[in-house]
Amino acid sequence: MGAKPMKVVTGVVGNDIHVVANRLIDLSLQARGYEVFNLGVNTHLAEFFDAAVETGAEVLMISSLNGEAEGWGREVKLLKAKYKGLDELIMMIGGNLVVGSGNTEDIIARYKKYGFDLVCHQTDLNTGLDLLEEFIQKRSAS
Amino acid sequence: MVIEAKGHCLIDVGSTYIKVSTANSIEQHFRDFNADILDDLLSKCGATVSQFEKHNVYICSSANGGLSTLIIGVSNTFSLKYATNIAFNSGINIIDTILYQNIDEYSLPSERIDVVIIVGGINSHSALFSDSLFNYLADLEYSNIVFAGSEQDAPLLKNHIDDLVVLPNIVDDRLHIVEQHLKDYLVNLYQQDIEGKEDIKNLYQITSNQIYSTPYIVNRALPFIGSKFAVANPFILLDIGGATTDIHYSKDLVEDNMVTENEYDRLVFKRLGVYRSRQSLILAAHANEFVYELLSYLKVTENIFNEHSDKATRILMQLAIFLVLYKISRYGESYVKLKLLAINSIVFTGGITKMLSSDEIEAITLFFYRKILNSDHRPVTILDTDYDIWTLGARGDDSCQ
Ligand code: B12
Repeated sequence: MGAKPMKVVTGVVGNDIHVVANRLIDLSLQARGYEVFNLGVNTHLAEFFDAAVETGAEVLMISSLNGEAEGWGREVKLLKAKYKGLDELIMMIGGNLVVGSGNTEDIIARYKKYGFDLVCHQTDLNTGLDLLEEFIQKRSAS
Repeated sequence: MVIEAKGHCLIDVGSTYIKVSTANSIEQHFRDFNADILDDLLSKCGATVSQFEKHNVYICSSANGGLSTLIIGVSNTFSLKYATNIAFNSGINIIDTILYQNIDEYSLPSERIDVVIIVGGINSHSALFSDSLFNYLADLEYSNIVFAGSEQDAPLLKNHIDDLVVLPNIVDDRLHIVEQHLKDYLVNLYQQDIEGKEDIKNLYQITSNQIYSTPYIVNRALPFIGSKFAVANPFILLDIGGATTDIHYSKDLVEDNMVTENEYDRLVFKRLGVYRSRQSLILAAHANEFVYELLSYLKVTENIFNEHSDKATRILMQLAIFLVLYKISRYGESYVKLKLLAINSIVFTGGITKMLSSDEIEAITLFFYRKILNSDHRPVTILDTDYDIWTLGARGDDSCQ
């Protein structure tokens, strides 16, 4: 108690206008005590990183619902490497991470290669947020 | 005995011309760069100006290319972009923007900066700046410096930077822009002591009203433009000057993350002008792959760049129109891209309206839309031949706010 809330930048990447999950994520994160910076739908990858710089956020939580993340994902590492001081940023992505269907394990492996710490393909939000908490606890313990 | 003239006397000190407008007349004179601005003004239009009492004289200036700023911010999407927008709309020209994390890689500008703006971080973030900022500033020549970033970092910056002005953050806790404080500060800058701008301060001898920068005056007139011209929204306004070219545009023409109450934003190309910046305009033209085609379309060769005739100036103005449209299109490198196919009117103000006819201007817009955008779209050209827009904006706070 009394500790500063952890900051999370969230939004929907690319030209994706599916807004319902984004609203839910905002509310659920707040309910769990995070300070949320919601960039909304239609957000460019660079805006996520820029928002992390301006806010000092510890977590980046990207949603993709229409399958576009497939394309953006490949650019994540390259772009993040241009930022100094984001090495500790926890990178998380969820939603529908491919166009059509695919093998979940393959998808997770691919996105981890793109540079994400936590990958939640078609995972229920609360399950995803539990995973985040576990991850944070493990990291602060190590 | 002085017979006081009715109404207001409006004066615009540009980089090339001085204009004086009263209810009965509008005069325009080339400036003498060896003379003090006030002496120059009085020797050319003293008879007119002396008929007015100080409180009826309104002055704006873009002399010496206007006021300049260098902006240091921590991200392109938020602090730097917001400060850029505020500076442009306040009538200030941006010499450079520096992304703070890479500050060591930037070279120092050769000219003295009128005001340095430092921004970055929301108020709950801290320790965004450190020695690399102070080291850079130590070598930079500037007249004023202002910080409008995270309030937690203000004490540290104040400790290290002499005469630092601290203003409320331009980025709020939801990452939205807060314009007012920085804008007020910048708009009022001509009242500060700015090295190299002393002769503007001399102008306070003939006016008791605040001196503003000319582009700020033009920008604030735009919501009222319909009272003078049949302008169809959305529109852009081009002011091609001697030193810089200004564009003011309806906000409907951009898509971005900045939510402000302004209906019109401004953008400047600082080394694009037909007198003082003639050489850099020619350089920019050489660098554009379509310019040779444009020259042959205008039935001239590049030898025109070596001529100093009215015709050469007219061609340069036509080139400037083309280059500006190109720069704000999706092919250009400006910090915003405008939806050019949505433009319904293009308004031209400044010296260009005395030099070019509507036909000469339309030849260029037609070439641009056909050649670059593959479109038959034709925005309507409107010429502000009598400087009505400036007059509208200059008439003081009461009529324009
Ligand atoms: C409503 C809807 C629309 C509406 C959106 C309205 C709006 N403004 O939000 C409209 C009609 C506009 C629309 C348009 C399109 N849609 Co649509 N849409 C849907 C639909 C039916 C429901 C989405 C929804 O709101 N669900 C409710 C929310 C709460 O659930 P959710 O989005 O799935 O999110 C949950 C989880 O994924 C998770 N989650 C989400 N993000 C994250 C992030 C993290 C970190 C974590 C842990 C969890 C998490 O949390 C949520 C709650 O558990 C889905 C199909 C479906 N039943 O899911 C298709 C769907 C998402 N749409 C789809 C498509 C293809 C489109 C279009 C391209 C269609 C087209 N051809 O024009 C366009 C795209 C427009 C664009 N530019 O983005 C596809 C995507 C397919 C894919 N990825 O392979 C889907 C899956 C339909 C399908 N089966 O084909 N769509």
